[in-house]
Amino acid sequence: MRLIAPDEGMLYHIIEKRRPDLAKKIRNTRTIETVVVGLGGQGTRHAELMQQYGTAITAGIAPGRGGTRLLETIPIYNTISECLTEHPNIAVASIWRHYSTAKDATIEVIEAGIPVVVLISEGIPVRDVRDILVAARKHNTLLVGGNTPGVIFPPEGIKVGMLPDVFYPQEVSTEEFGPKGVTIISRSGAILYHLSDALASVGIAQNAVIGIGGDGAIGSTFRDLVPLAMEYKNTDLVVIAGEIGGCQEELLAEDIQKHPEKYPKPMVALISGAHAPEGKTMGHAGAIVSPGQTYGTFQSKKHALEQAGVPVANSQYDLIEEVKTKLNDKNYFDVEHYYKKMKTIWDAPAKKPGWSTLITNVMPNNLLISGYPLQDIVERKGFLEVAYLLIKGEFPDKKTLEEMRKIAVTAAKLPVPKITRLHNEDVSKTLVKYLVLDESLAAFPQEGIDGAVKKTIFCLGRAARYLSGIYGTEKALEKLNENEPFSYIIYRAITGNSKVNEKHSRLIEAMIVACVDHGVTPPSAQATLIAATTRAPYEVAVAHGVGAITDVHGGAGAKAAQFFNECIKKAKKEKIDVSLATRNLMREYIEEGKRVEGMGHRVHTKDPRRDVLWNLATQTGIASEHVQLSKIISTIFEQVRGMSLPINVDGVIGSIVADMGLDPTIAKVLFIYGRLAGLSAHYFEEVASQPRMRQINFAEAIYKGEEMRKIP
Amino acid sequence: MKLYEHEAKKVFDTMKIPIPKQYGVIHSIEELDAMKLQYPVMLKSMVLVGGRGKAGGIKKANNMEETKKIASELFKLKIKGLAVECILLEEVVDEMGACYFGVTMDPATYHNVVIVSASGGVDIEQVAREKPKTIIKREIPDNSRELPEKIAEDIVCSLLKDLPQMNYLKDILVDTIVKLYATYQRFDAKLCEINPLIITSKGVVAADAKMVLDDNALFRQVELLEMLGIKEKRHDVAERTKNELRAQTAGFPYIDLLPENHAKDPHKLYVGLIPGGAGYGIFSIDEVATIGKRFFNDRVVPVNFMDSGGGPTQNKVAEMFHLLMDNSDVDLIVTSRFGGISSCDIFIRGMVQAVKERYENGKKMIPVFGRMVGTDLPSARTFLEKAKAENPDVMKNVTIFVGNQRIMADVIREGIKKAFESKGWKI
Repeated sequence: MRLIAPDEGMLYHIIEKRRPDLAKKIRNTRTIETVVVGLGGQGTRHAELMQQYGTAITAGIAPGRGGTRLLETIPIYNTISECLTEHPNIAVASIWRHYSTAKDATIEVIEAGIPVVVLISEGIPVRDVRDILVAARKHNTLLVGGNTPGVIFPPEGIKVGMLPDVFYPQEVSTEEFGPKGVTIISRSGAILYHLSDALASVGIAQNAVIGIGGDGAIGSTFRDLVPLAMEYKNTDLVVIAGEIGGCQEELLAEDIQKHPEKYPKPMVALISGAHAPEGKTMGHAGAIVSPGQTYGTFQSKKHALEQAGVPVANSQYDLIEEVKTKLNDKNYFDVEHYYKKMKTIWDAPAKKPGWSTLITNVMPNNLLISGYPLQDIVERKGFLEVAYLLIKGEFPDKKTLEEMRKIAVTAAKLPVPKITRLHNEDVSKTLVKYLVLDESLAAFPQEGIDGAVKKTIFCLGRAARYLSGIYGTEKALEKLNENEPFSYIIYRAITGNSKVNEKHSRLIEAMIVACVDHGVTPPSAQATLIAATTRAPYEVAVAHGVGAITDVHGGAGAKAAQFFNECIKKAKKEKIDVSLATRNLMREYIEEGKRVEGMGHRVHTKDPRRDVLWNLATQTGIASEHVQLSKIISTIFEQVRGMSLPINVDGVIGSIVADMGLDPTIAKVLFIYGRLAGLSAHYFEEVASQPRMRQINFAEAIYKGEEMRKIP
Repeated sequence: MKLYEHEAKKVFDTMKIPIPKQYGVIHSIEELDAMKLQYPVMLKSMVLVGGRGKAGGIKKANNMEETKKIASELFKLKIKGLAVECILLEEVVDEMGACYFGVTMDPATYHNVVIVSASGGVDIEQVAREKPKTIIKREIPDNSRELPEKIAEDIVCSLLKDLPQMNYLKDILVDTIVKLYATYQRFDAKLCEINPLIITSKGVVAADAKMVLDDNALFRQVELLEMLGIKEKRHDVAERTKNELRAQTAGFPYIDLLPENHAKDPHKLYVGLIPGGAGYGIFSIDEVATIGKRFFNDRVVPVNFMDSGGGPTQNKVAEMFHLLMDNSDVDLIVTSRFGGISSCDIFIRGMVQAVKERYENGKKMIPVFGRMVGTDLPSARTFLEKAKAENPDVMKNVTIFVGNQRIMADVIREGIKKAFESKGWKI
């Protein structure tokens, strides 16, 4: 609910006072960029809440986590200076570090020149706080806290800190400067909420709410902030909430008397602790009344402020009365409307927890990889291009693609050990064995997102070589031409033909591309992701995923190819119509309790990959009786079983593999090979954007990547 | 955290600030027999409050007999309500003059401030009020770890204007103030004080020593605490009440507002508070008292301070309710959940757990009146509704408003009104 642009709000006003140059840039971008320093549990959780409220979070800082991402999309840097090189317009930092390291982190941020620093960390040793204050003075930084719940600016929808979103702005304003309101500045967080609550109950809006922190030594005090708030055109009145202990309230009173010109607007104070016993610390380090002190008591504060003309309340009722009087009963919004709105917040069902992926958007009958419909990708792009897209979110340009091709070819040329495969061993298991042992793959660097994509391409090259070993087609790979397309290498590894059949090669690549990814929920992706949470090495995590591809998951294509083969054979042998032979065979299958694979899908009723593969099979002239059969298999199934199951991508691939005269297990190999690219992408996304050892609820994943778009 | 005088002196000694010869600290008279004392000897009561001298807690003895007599008197003494549990014995220092040295942080500017005065051995705050000119203050704005020699010299020169006869001690005084400042910084102290710093024929001696450590920095002062044999953080000056000890064990801040063993006024309503964070913990006491004065003829007494914010566990929440319901004074519990960190859900589960346990074990039940808004509200609301439907008897006297349609002041007022009505009291 943003009512005014960020460059019209109080936060902008504060930044402008401290860094006029930066303010100019903000006027251009109309965005106040912020950075979150310290990404433990609290920092991470509140980064999300701040973003939801409307705060622009440009980056996060966490030493050792540079190059990874926060909330899947926000870049993380090791240091603030690295961050500012990339994002020079950051104007506000919130600091969530542990008290033992908060000092160094804060001083680093201050010295980097960020004008507004909100120090959330609590329990910082006071000697460290003094060092921070020395730095803040030197660099003209507005420091809020430590031990502050943060600051919130309701009209511009900006929150820096952990305040709940209950503060209410004026929604409609007939006045020149837009929504006005009362600024609340408080030493305690919980008191802030109760004051806001009290004011809202009589229709008084808040344009800024600032927690200054409960500690004995803090960055900005009432004396620093009240004049700033009063300067700001939309502030009608300032409420300060003080409490026993320290001498801030007394100093404010003194300043008001000495410099009344700095305090041109009405003010009301609430002081807590009228009934506190002497000599006992009550929670806040600052809130202790030491016997014999001439300041710090309820009476000393009340007296000083009243002398300065500021009425002092000690209860919600009195506060409401004083503020109403000072504002001449001005009303900012309709209270009934406000309660109705709040009620929708209180009555809202619990928000479902979620996490997100940017890779593949899986919707019924639609699969988008980084926004591009998969069927279009199958039609127009090669395997290396889509492998690149899965990780980088964009297709490579020509030069980059050539670089990728070279990496893949190099990898495919490197020798592999003699492949031994037990009789009937699942091909996925064979591949797992050798992937995990591959030292060249393990040694391949993977720094940053470019490293990730190169390593994936390298892995695909290696896998092609292993497949040739598994199928005993090494001979076909012997005379590798350095400059030939990678799809030729795949073709030769899979078919064992040295001479490339262009059309077959094209179709094989298309089928591989059709299998690259299906989001985070397939068991193979889950297995890789779980391994990735423990930061297992790349090849190990990917092998986890490949190992999960079995007859149950990913094996349907091979089974379908076999079934189609049997149907055609039966028709020929018994000299009957194919559909009759198929019906009969299907009945036999069902009687024996066997599954007919290649139909039905948990998400799609019309698999988006179906038509594009059928068309390509027809265009290349490969489509023949098996493909023909695949087009009527659903109808036959309905005749036999009385229920309608659509053919899925496995069924289509199975029929094409059968028409190509390939071993039926090739259908599964195509699936595994394609999915290697997807598993790699999920591995690198997890490592770069999620905390270690997290518990993954796969059903909670939300796609937050590119919207649907067309391939240029 | 305040250090006892003998502890502070131990710290000063390691920093080579001269202290009187220490004979030891005793907890009982019997320990005196094993001590080798040189008379006269000083006996000082070790309590963490000022004004021990005036209260008769510091005495001189000239022989063992006298020492034992004085010690046994001191062990019976209470100074500002605090029992004397141990006594420091140290040499008597001949005094030629005395001054005050202190380092602390200025509460207004947050700068370190070195304070010296030629008026030593008396209440420095009183001196500040009565003879402010005799106090020399120097702020150190850069928080340097060492006090620059130049500044130390300036300070001492100013001091010596008032004590010209001590000019020959200039270097020693400079050295002492430098060391005191270093002690303050190195050990994360909030206050380091020598009052009096006694001038002897040979030099200076810190006849008293005061140190207050920064609680927030205790985690990195392990060596210091080990040297002093301090195993756990010391709390407030005053002795803790039974309730306060119980809350400390459970792990939440709690303070009794009424003295232990006070007589309950049968015409007044005693209100226990489980209010949320520390700030509202303080404010809610004022709210209850003010509402009592304004609407209930001053017949309402707030019972406690509690900080129940910051995300307590369910068991801890349950213990908060048990603690107040076990308190025979309490007639009504007022509670509030509002904010970002604490979960309403855990809170409400903890409350229901406590009320159920008490119901099942036949323990005293006290009406609860309160409000909740904020984190995890939907699940909290569902849980509360279910608990009320399933156990109407248990939850009979629990009223929790969901949402902020009523401000807390209204909730408190209504809770008190209901409590008055159920007692048949006129409002």
